[in-house]
Amino acid sequence: MSPPSLPVQPPNGPNPDSRPPLKAQKEMTKAERRELQEKQRAAKAAAKTAGTSQPNQKPATKQPPVPIGSTGAPKKGGRPADPAPPRTPMLPAGRQPRDAKLVSTLAETGPMNARGLRIFSHFGLPKPVSLAKGDIHPVILRLALQFSDFKITGANARCIATLTAFKTVIQDYITPPNTTLSRHLMTHLSPQISHLVAARPMSVTMGNAIRQLKLEISGSDIDLPEQDAKNALCQKIDNYVRDRIMVADQVIEETAGSKIKDGDIILTYARSSVVEKVLLGAHSEGRRFSVIVVDSRPMLEGKRLLSVLTEADIQCSYLLLPALGSVITEVSMVLVGAHSIHSNGSVYSRAGTALVAMLAKQHSVPVVVCCETYKFSEGVQLDSFTKNELAPLGDKFASFPLTKPREALMLVNGPNLEILNPLYDLTPPTSISAVVTEVGVIPPNSISSIPLALGRLL
Amino acid sequence: MAPEASTSTSHRSVEVLVSKLRRRQVVGSREAALETVKVLRQVVSRAKFSNIDQLVGLIRSIGKRLVDAQPKEHTVGNTVRKILHHIREEYNTATKGTATVGSSSRAVFSIANFVLQGQPRKHTVAQRSEVTTSIRENDPDDPDSFAKTLKPVLMEAIQDVLDELETVYDNVSKNAKDHIHSDEIILTIGHSKTVEAFLKSAAHYHSYTVIVAETSPSYSGHEMARNLSSAGISTFLVPDSSIYAIMSRVNKVILGAHAILANGGMFAITGSLLASSAARVHSVPIVVCAGQFKITPLWNLYHEFGALDFADPSSVLGFEEGVLVEREVEVLNPYYDYVSPEMVDVFITNDGDHPPSSIYRLIKETYDDEDHEL
Repeated sequence: MSPPSLPVQPPNGPNPDSRPPLKAQKEMTKAERRELQEKQRAAKAAAKTAGTSQPNQKPATKQPPVPIGSTGAPKKGGRPADPAPPRTPMLPAGRQPRDAKLVSTLAETGPMNARGLRIFSHFGLPKPVSLAKGDIHPVILRLALQFSDFKITGANARCIATLTAFKTVIQDYITPPNTTLSRHLMTHLSPQISHLVAARPMSVTMGNAIRQLKLEISGSDIDLPEQDAKNALCQKIDNYVRDRIMVADQVIEETAGSKIKDGDIILTYARSSVVEKVLLGAHSEGRRFSVIVVDSRPMLEGKRLLSVLTEADIQCSYLLLPALGSVITEVSMVLVGAHSIHSNGSVYSRAGTALVAMLAKQHSVPVVVCCETYKFSEGVQLDSFTKNELAPLGDKFASFPLTKPREALMLVNGPNLEILNPLYDLTPPTSISAVVTEVGVIPPNSISSIPLALGRLL
Repeated sequence: MAPEASTSTSHRSVEVLVSKLRRRQVVGSREAALETVKVLRQVVSRAKFSNIDQLVGLIRSIGKRLVDAQPKEHTVGNTVRKILHHIREEYNTATKGTATVGSSSRAVFSIANFVLQGQPRKHTVAQRSEVTTSIRENDPDDPDSFAKTLKPVLMEAIQDVLDELETVYDNVSKNAKDHIHSDEIILTIGHSKTVEAFLKSAAHYHSYTVIVAETSPSYSGHEMARNLSSAGISTFLVPDSSIYAIMSRVNKVILGAHAILANGGMFAITGSLLASSAARVHSVPIVVCAGQFKITPLWNLYHEFGALDFADPSSVLGFEEGVLVEREVEVLNPYYDYVSPEMVDVFITNDGDHPPSSIYRLIKETYDDEDHEL
């Protein structure tokens, strides 16, 4: 079913502040005009309830700049300062996604097929990166494109890429007259951050790093000449990356590597940069073990890990997630990474990790999560629905086997059919045996004591 | 010790089926069962035998050949056992129990006999032939009389088996509307025609939602999702990785089975173990829909690898991706999972609903002891 076409509209959706050109209105019949009015009224109501605001391409507009979403559904625990990503409401099946006309057609198709589940409605669909306002730095533009195309994936990689981009932005920044760097720089960075968030929802690592950056900016000395202040900030960013990520990874590599003994069979899921380092490190230390790489759609990241490991001459097996039950009895340890970890010890990680951890626990196989402390997220998430992200539809990651003809697969939504590809899930602390951080190996329930140990440096 | 009673034509049909099974040209357990029944019907109609043992021996030998051709396809053996059971029953009724067939096991003091004694026979075989008293076995003057008198009865019995197989989907879906209610969220994996019929039947009465897991690497979930959505059921298609994530919202898990084992466990498509474990963790009931012809007198105490059947690894890691890997990598693609009886809450068969703990009783009633080993 195609959405009914509406008369002249701006490409980014009905702008509540503007009206369709009067010429069109005069040409329409009375009935058509009334119909148009109804549609606009419904669109306004839908826009209000759905709480979306499309990224606005018109430079001279009264609307606030690039989406500061105000959706009803909670997005992340405890980061009110950062703009929440905009969310298109998940529409009942049969709609074409990421179209500006979505909002207006929502009201029309609401009653029909309303049983298209609303419990998934807050997931929202990833949107294509819109044309940005003029103020966005080209480095940020490039980064946003890389994010939305999933060229850079993984919590650590995204954070490092973001911070590196910000260094360039800071160096290119010139303080306008009548204001100081410490006050204005953050306002300058906000739209850049929003643009990145519009490309792909912010990861916890990015959020923590940006919060730290804001702290540094507001604390920077007013009397410093501009270039020195900028250099100091870039130095702080480098230190953050070095201390919280690079060095932390090295410590985790050694600690977790010491848990691997000769003859072990290690199982890992998808691709974690930390686990990759641990395995390579342990192998270079001379330990002889074999690895089982378990992989799954939608991203099939395990293949990259597989090629890295085989290049290092590590004995590997590769299988897909449903086959896990056949091999779990032979595994000595499960090593997984995390996107973030919550104060109750639940691990927010790539979708499928929860299944791996659950099955391993049932077969008494220890599950070890490798996670740096900067991935800690305040607050407690109860299930995988509170916060999640959907991968774009279709065969973006070329993850379907070539042996399967494309006509046999459902790659787009159809009538009564909706395709969901959640990218993350939540592993409860009961399935986890231990968490390896740079401050030590801790049981999952003790996560909340770590910030205290670090002097509240989250 | 197959008697030469089998004609060359029935031999040929058996050969054809044997080679089809060996080459896996028969796709689907129900198809295999149907083919087996048809072949056996032909064999029995052409067979010449002068006592019941000859006939039983003939069918057993044919059954053994079919099972050896494809040991993973358990429904073939089950059908043979069922037909043998029916044959013996008809014979017993026809001779009014004056001659007992293969009853060596009855003399054994075993728990099996306790079970049998306590059970009222579910199907009382109606008196079909009027010439019951005149059955004579091993008559030297008229060697065909025994066969001639018994054959019509046997053919009807085999036709019963065939009818039962053909109406499996309808019977399984009979009570679907009692199991699924409005606005429920059902999770299923893979593509089982039995489950599909079950869900479509329930959709006539209630509107609910189905979440289908893709089930890599066969991706049969896509086919299921297509069929369900075109039947008007609102469907979500998710990858297997999100089974745990969505389980907290699911009301029931409905699975299909490849074979149901004597201890109440089952072989099912890979991914069933994940789905049932996740459901157990979230206390979600697990329902298995399968035809009764899938109940197998087999035990699986030692193997985690399901039916030890592996499929083509190129659907897991394609040959074109060989450049990705520098040295040899072991790629696994097991086809089945073994799900233990503690995971399953109920088996819905065309014969009614049964908990896993009473599968052994069903086996006792449907098959004869001596046929467990063909």
